[in-house]
Amino acid sequence: MKKIIALMSCVFGLFVFVNIYHEPQVNAAEKTYTIGTDVTFPPFVYANSDNKYVGIDMDLIRAIAKKEGFKAEIKPLGFNAAVQSLSSGQIDGVIAGMTITDERRQKFDFSTPYYKSGIVMAVAPKGDIKGLKDLKGKRVAVKTGTAGATYANSIKDRYGFKTVTFDDSDNVYNDVKNGNSAACFDDSAVLNYGVKTGLGLKIVTKPTDIGSYGFAVEKGKNKELMSKFNSGLKKLKANGEYAKIIEKYTGESATAAQKKNSTQANAEGHTFFGLIKQNRDSIIDGIFETIKLTVVSIICATIFGVLIGLLGVLPSKLARGTSTTIIYIFRGLPLLVLALFIYNGVPSLTGSKVPAFVAGIITLTLNEGAYTAAFVKGGIQAVDTGQMEAARSLGLPFGKSMRKVILPQGIKIMIPSFINQFIITLKDTSILSIIGILELTQTGKIIIARNLEGFKIWTIIALIYLIIITVLTLLSKWVERRIND
Amino acid sequence: MKNTKVKVTNLKKNFGSNHVLKGIDFEVAQNEVVVLIGPSGSGKSTLLRCLNRLEDPTSGSVVIDGNDISDSKTNIDQARENIGMVFQHFNLFNNLTVGQNVELAPVELGKLSKSEAVTMAKKLLDTVGLDDKYDAMPQSLSGGQKQRVAIARALAMNPDIMLFDEPTSALDPEMVGDVLEVMKDLAKKGMTMVVVTHEMGFAKEVADRVVFMADGKVMEEGKPEEVFGNPQNERTKTFLQKVINV
Repeated sequence: MKKIIALMSCVFGLFVFVNIYHEPQVNAAEKTYTIGTDVTFPPFVYANSDNKYVGIDMDLIRAIAKKEGFKAEIKPLGFNAAVQSLSSGQIDGVIAGMTITDERRQKFDFSTPYYKSGIVMAVAPKGDIKGLKDLKGKRVAVKTGTAGATYANSIKDRYGFKTVTFDDSDNVYNDVKNGNSAACFDDSAVLNYGVKTGLGLKIVTKPTDIGSYGFAVEKGKNKELMSKFNSGLKKLKANGEYAKIIEKYTGESATAAQKKNSTQANAEGHTFFGLIKQNRDSIIDGIFETIKLTVVSIICATIFGVLIGLLGVLPSKLARGTSTTIIYIFRGLPLLVLALFIYNGVPSLTGSKVPAFVAGIITLTLNEGAYTAAFVKGGIQAVDTGQMEAARSLGLPFGKSMRKVILPQGIKIMIPSFINQFIITLKDTSILSIIGILELTQTGKIIIARNLEGFKIWTIIALIYLIIITVLTLLSKWVERRIND
Repeated sequence: MKNTKVKVTNLKKNFGSNHVLKGIDFEVAQNEVVVLIGPSGSGKSTLLRCLNRLEDPTSGSVVIDGNDISDSKTNIDQARENIGMVFQHFNLFNNLTVGQNVELAPVELGKLSKSEAVTMAKKLLDTVGLDDKYDAMPQSLSGGQKQRVAIARALAMNPDIMLFDEPTSALDPEMVGDVLEVMKDLAKKGMTMVVVTHEMGFAKEVADRVVFMADGKVMEEGKPEEVFGNPQNERTKTFLQKVINV
């Protein structure tokens, strides 16, 4: 027992050290705002080959922040998650090529428009779809919560097509390219840029006039940030910086270079080795984040689970009832729902932010802890009742009997379940990509958003998970042998 | 009149709607060996388990050495230190060696230092004929050996009364003798004992008094020669005929 505790505290100590070491230095003089954005929405936002977020929106917000003297912490959450995080107050603003609509005005305050856009329809170049009329009975891909999706849904009955919704743009485009969907609807600026840089789709309609892009904050809040954004935008337009940024991403030379670039990158990156080499830094960061999540969750969930499990075998009815209820609730909730509830739901009720990493840890602690509690309780109950009776008959109090006789036997029964639960915890960290934690799975999504190498990247990610799981299993088996000796 | 060690008054115990003990009055004197006999389900074991509150009585009282065991205000752990118990299925602590099984309670309860406990454990294991098993794990022992360790473990707390709950029922026949030998020695040394058993030979030889129970009541009690030789109650007669003719 003492050996395990020592080992666990070593791991924990190491983790704390690494974490402190990684703590970013914050300049106290500048106010920091958290700005949510999309994962891929070129040319407005996308990750370049150094995994840095660039694009019109990124350059704009950074230039404005510099002009107005604040710090913008960019959170690439994905469009849908960014909008939800904004409405629950998790982040201060969103800049993600968001079209200003009346519906969105109900919940958000928008800046002066910074880019005019419309919705166009794109199809595969070799197909026979030439316009809206050809869509009858077909399937059309759109992205969750976008103006393109709203537009498509508003005309789908008239033209007789069905819509299918994806969370990321690249999934939308891929679905059209591989023929599952006949067409997609998206913002003209984005699709124009995509077509020019070799996306492999063809635009077949004129842009509808649906309005412009704006920067958003939660309605009635962050007024200071909003006025800074507007005044900064005005200055950038006046001094010509705005025009430069637009030209940088949409000018002929820029798109041609980008096209060449992506063709080149594709040629290099066609091999597994090339892909790993290209994305080495972001993959390593993802692995580190996944391990960090796993280690902290395992420690927290084990402590929580053991406490709740022990509560479940106490002689008090109240304690047992509490334990059963906690297990029932947190084992019954899907992990995904729990994560969204803690990250988005709770803050919109209480008004206080929960950082994504903390929300992730709480989610895993509650869910994995509930499973742990169940088998801790079961393990203790599996010890023959005669053992407790014999201990009590000698005059040993309940607690001492538990510690000296029941738990040592129960733990042996529980060990295989513990190892199993550790592995499940590791795998479940991938679900936390939904709240924008940049762990291994989210890293994979982002890399694919850039290079569209779905099969190869997911294979690499899967192999990395298997390797980490193997290491974790070996480590657990080693601890198990130590305990059984 | 000898000192009364145990006094049970109108003891009732229900398990749900099942009335297992229906008003038992029962006494044990200092240094007395009482053997409880009777058919299965008659409540013998339940009565025994009420004596150290492994079962909570539904009503009535159990007083041992002036302590009301059935009162929830009584410190039951302290009371149990003086009441040794031996179980049908031994219940040795599977995670501890034979020696540790014997030493655990006296050390944990601060009665003995670790080294005193080791000396005491070796001495007790010697008296039950198992001094060579000090370092063995319970799993490696035979049933008879396990039960003798269990007796040594109960004696380690130096109790002044010992409860035996069918101590030989789970044993192979050739093991029974060794365990009964140890119990006889204990009786000779003057230990107060309450024994639930089907070993009629042991009852005849060792018991000061035999209590026959059926249907949750005491049907008949007396010296062994009276109960075995000249039973008064019809139930006792039928029971003894069956048991002794087998």
